[in-house]
Amino acid sequence: MAEDKYNRKNPAVKRILQEVKEMQSNPSDDFMSLPLEENIFEWQFAIRGPRDSEFEGGIYHGRIQLPAEYPFKPPSFMLLTPNGRFETQTKICLSISNHHPEHWQPSWSVRTALVALIAFMPTSPNGALGSLDYPKDERRALATKSRNTAPTFGSSERQKLIDEIHEYMLTKALPTSQGEQSSEANTGSEESPQGPQTDIETTTEAIPTPAEDDGIVEEEEDEEALPNLTENGGIIEEPNETHTVLANAQQVLRKPESRVAKPTDDRLFTWAIYGLTFAIILLLLKKFLKANGYGAVFMNES
Amino acid sequence: MQSEDEQVVDSSKAETTKTCTQTPEVDDWANFRDDDIMQQQSAIQAVEADKIPFVGDKEPLSSLAAEYKSGNPIILEKIKVLTEQYAAVRRTRGDGNCFFRSFMFAYLEHILESQDRAEVDRITASVEYCRKTLLSLGYAEFTFEDFFALFLEQLESVLSGPEASISHEELVERSRDQSVSDYVVMFFRFITSGEIRNRSEFYEPFIQGLTNTSVEQFCKSSVEPMGEESDHVHITAISDALGVAIRIVYLDRSCDDKGSVTVNHHDFSPVARDPTNANINNNSNNSQPIKPFINLLYRPGHYDILYPNN
Repeated sequence: MAEDKYNRKNPAVKRILQEVKEMQSNPSDDFMSLPLEENIFEWQFAIRGPRDSEFEGGIYHGRIQLPAEYPFKPPSFMLLTPNGRFETQTKICLSISNHHPEHWQPSWSVRTALVALIAFMPTSPNGALGSLDYPKDERRALATKSRNTAPTFGSSERQKLIDEIHEYMLTKALPTSQGEQSSEANTGSEESPQGPQTDIETTTEAIPTPAEDDGIVEEEEDEEALPNLTENGGIIEEPNETHTVLANAQQVLRKPESRVAKPTDDRLFTWAIYGLTFAIILLLLKKFLKANGYGAVFMNES
Repeated sequence: MQSEDEQVVDSSKAETTKTCTQTPEVDDWANFRDDDIMQQQSAIQAVEADKIPFVGDKEPLSSLAAEYKSGNPIILEKIKVLTEQYAAVRRTRGDGNCFFRSFMFAYLEHILESQDRAEVDRITASVEYCRKTLLSLGYAEFTFEDFFALFLEQLESVLSGPEASISHEELVERSRDQSVSDYVVMFFRFITSGEIRNRSEFYEPFIQGLTNTSVEQFCKSSVEPMGEESDHVHITAISDALGVAIRIVYLDRSCDDKGSVTVNHHDFSPVARDPTNANINNNSNNSQPIKPFINLLYRPGHYDILYPNN
């Protein structure tokens, strides 16, 4: 970073450099943000779609402009990745994000604002300017698509930064419903419940508790939007079930917690099978040994 | 005491929120985005800035009387009473930060003139205590350290040490320089917010009575943002946190039943506190309250600095 060309006595510059340092020393899995080398008042960021929402797995890029009066005046945010919640290349109306300019305060930071932005994605836009209200399945499709390539925007230097941030986020943000995650689901790692995402969970969950879902058919486009779904065949029970799943789009959004437990159940069955197999082998062995006259020894030991 | 002004502020806020949530076809006002609102705000501020700097020049009290020449007789009468005790006034810009700005200038000017090293040592310890308070409340250090550093820098510069202190003109100059003045104002806002949050059980009833919001919400919307006006809650908090007594002299149209005129004042005396620990010593000697060296003139909605007769 070309820090030398800035006047470090300038309070805004001083503060921004502090934030860069802080951002680098406490990296988050949920977002990444860095300034351009040529201008530290211009930042690029990427946030990961919030868990248990249709944005999960998505990587959303955007730019931040810090005013010369920072941190007295708020930064402005603009998204570059199509996401179905905010228009791209339009300044996000901050009133809706608790970051209304009149109430901006210097104790907030780029980090605070990004956390707020993530929390804001699954909320209803209520017709706010710069907001979009795409159906869930379209948002989900955009989330999947957002992983493939980073947006193209601005100078080559900026593009380099965008690509770097994208690479970083790919290692942090779990994919929406990509097959590469199926192995992780079986290892029982911390994040596996989020791995095979909403679609599978919707499928499995809706069977035992159809009453919860208010009797509205979830759009079939779900499957088309996510062509990779079948790659998950190993761990989901019946991809076809999607057609019979009853789910209210809004309700699905609001009740994500209930769908998370499924991979654990699968693992339980696997172990049960191992256990039973072992018991059967043991019995056969016992019978075999008994038949050969070693029965007494064996019985004593067990 | 500022309820009327606050209502105005509140309704304008409600309006801006509304403009953002309406669709463009419905209302032209919807075209006002944050940017436009901010531009408007800074335009208003620019107009205000032309009228008066952050901190004005010292003026005799007669200039105050001139302001009300054809105005309310009670006010004129009160100004006459004021002149018995006070000699001059220094105006500050009415940008919502006037209390903190007045406090800043009055305090630094007092140190510059008194060269009271013991007081500087005392307040420095209080500031360090406030820093710990903010950290324990979960503030990220990088969000407030610049403001703290800048205030301590000013404090050092008004006291002669190995180097001579700055001149009075230099202090006025700095108080008018946004990159110093606003930082010190914000420093006081951090101090105030930290104090209120730290002793929220004490401040809660006052805040409830004033705005009917939670302590958290009050700090978020009425203390920490620049340009939000100060009330007795803010004054109590900063006085307690920094251990500085403040006298507020009220200049308004009130008079008693007989129509005789007296000028009321209220002294905000800090609670005695050992800066090394959080305990507030309630039963200690508050019997001989120190005479405040900070005198501010309050007219509904605004604070200026007053200078007593010597």
